[in-house]
Amino acid sequence: MDRVVVTTQVVARIGKWLFLGVLLVLSLVPLLWLVLSSFKTTPELFRGPFTLPRHWSFANFTGALSTLPLVTYFRNSVVVSAAGTAATIAISTMAAYALRHKFRLNGLTRNFLMAGLLVPFTPFMTPIFYIIERLGLYNTVWGLALVYAGMMLPVGFLIIKTYMDTIPEETLEAARIDGASFHGVFFRVIVPLTAPGLATAAIFLVISDWNELLFANLLTASPSAQTLQVGITTFLTGYASNYPQAFAGTAMAMAPTVLAYALLSNRVIDSMTASALK
Amino acid sequence: MVKTRKRIVKTRQLVVYLGPSIALALAFIVFPLIFIIVMSFTQWAGLGPARYIGIQNFDYLFHDPSFRAAVVNTLLWGGVGIFVQTPLCLIAALVLSRRPFMWKFIRTLLFVPSVVSTTILALVWYFMFDPEIGLVNGTLTAVGLKSLAHSWLSDPSTAQGAIMVPFVIYIGFGMVLFLTQISTVPKDILEAAQLDGANVWRQDLHITIPSIRRAIALWALFLVGYVLRMFEYPYIMTDGGPINRTMNVSLYIYDQMVTADQYGLAMAAGVVTVLLGPSSWPASCSYCDG
Repeated sequence: MDRVVVTTQVVARIGKWLFLGVLLVLSLVPLLWLVLSSFKTTPELFRGPFTLPRHWSFANFTGALSTLPLVTYFRNSVVVSAAGTAATIAISTMAAYALRHKFRLNGLTRNFLMAGLLVPFTPFMTPIFYIIERLGLYNTVWGLALVYAGMMLPVGFLIIKTYMDTIPEETLEAARIDGASFHGVFFRVIVPLTAPGLATAAIFLVISDWNELLFANLLTASPSAQTLQVGITTFLTGYASNYPQAFAGTAMAMAPTVLAYALLSNRVIDSMTASALK
Repeated sequence: MVKTRKRIVKTRQLVVYLGPSIALALAFIVFPLIFIIVMSFTQWAGLGPARYIGIQNFDYLFHDPSFRAAVVNTLLWGGVGIFVQTPLCLIAALVLSRRPFMWKFIRTLLFVPSVVSTTILALVWYFMFDPEIGLVNGTLTAVGLKSLAHSWLSDPSTAQGAIMVPFVIYIGFGMVLFLTQISTVPKDILEAAQLDGANVWRQDLHITIPSIRRAIALWALFLVGYVLRMFEYPYIMTDGGPINRTMNVSLYIYDQMVTADQYGLAMAAGVVTVLLGPSSWPASCSYCDG
């Protein structure tokens, strides 16, 4: 009897570590293999995946940088995700503050602003393309930032409203008694007290905007407005013969978010989970 | 008198603060929704006037093998997400919730792919499955299974399974969500169960899982939304091929609009996609009843 119990415990323990081990290998090895391969030469790559590069040279990285305007793509990605995130946050914070007041259509407005959580945006490609084209923002970073601001509004609003609703009404009332106006309460009480919630939302929104491909692909046509995600897909068409360079380019495109995550992993995990289960 | 004026001032302030968000929601949700419904009954090449053609687009979609493959594959992704990926996330979360050696570090590592874009993950796996230089065939050859090595992405029987691999194995995000929820399950209930002789499996099955089933259902809903908008894996890894084996609704809409200039048809496909969302909610609710 006891031996059976001990045996099952040992089997369970082995199974647990085997399961975690397989998951870790599957999650990380492909990414590490890509980074390792980006230091290899083409013949080394064809010789097999388990050899180390003979020389650790950055030739593939400099090669990728000179064949593709990766720096421009990078700059565009920074502008688009910063502008898109800033707009979503400003607009969501204002809306969440307005909804702290009692008025007749309060509940309806809240549901209206969150309805977008249930709609997939892919089918809206044509109308959104049409809007951006009409506004003269086709092939500009601003058009893309505007689309992200709108697409991410429901989730940004949800995170910020959830956080803002934890501020007690008495705090706002006290500020009003001290003579603060509608705007005064917003700028001097609401914004500072909601700041941690805004930071949470910002991390989530920047990562989402940074990683988006479909609309970035649809709404831009030249490197002057294309983002990193669009840029690296050109490795598939133009650089099939130069795998190591494609690997190096992909590794460089992966670096910013992974490095940011390495520095702030717990903050990033918290903010990405905040969106989902409130 | 003063009170009415105060109310008008307040109304004006509310309009100022709510205006931008309502405008954005109207522009990017309400207008597009109406637009695609109306235009799905037309033939339109993007430029020039649209011509009303009744339900011809829907009739075409219904008989188009490519669209049928797209819907079937999208439902397949949803099913795999709900019944394979979600359980994996849950098992990983349950294992880590027992706080094994270095559990925090393992959690942090498993989450890494969640901050990498789907575009890059798709590229990585495109290279992984490369018949000559890819790690998949390389590993098979190294362990003496060279006979299994082949062109995963161009073989119709393996393409769909291959492009699903990254979707299924990157469990970090779901796992972390469940882990957060599990930490809110009261410890004393688990301790009481333990005293009553319930082993780890029974505690998980009868206490932990039922207590977080709302989170599981929400995750399943999130996956449905993801699958409906996901476009990167087929676009980058297979371009929907071979012979539509990996086509999905997002790529179908994209192809009809961008490649074929069939805007009316693209929007009819869009209407079907929007309707697929609610129709698949019951599947995610299979977790609600626990």
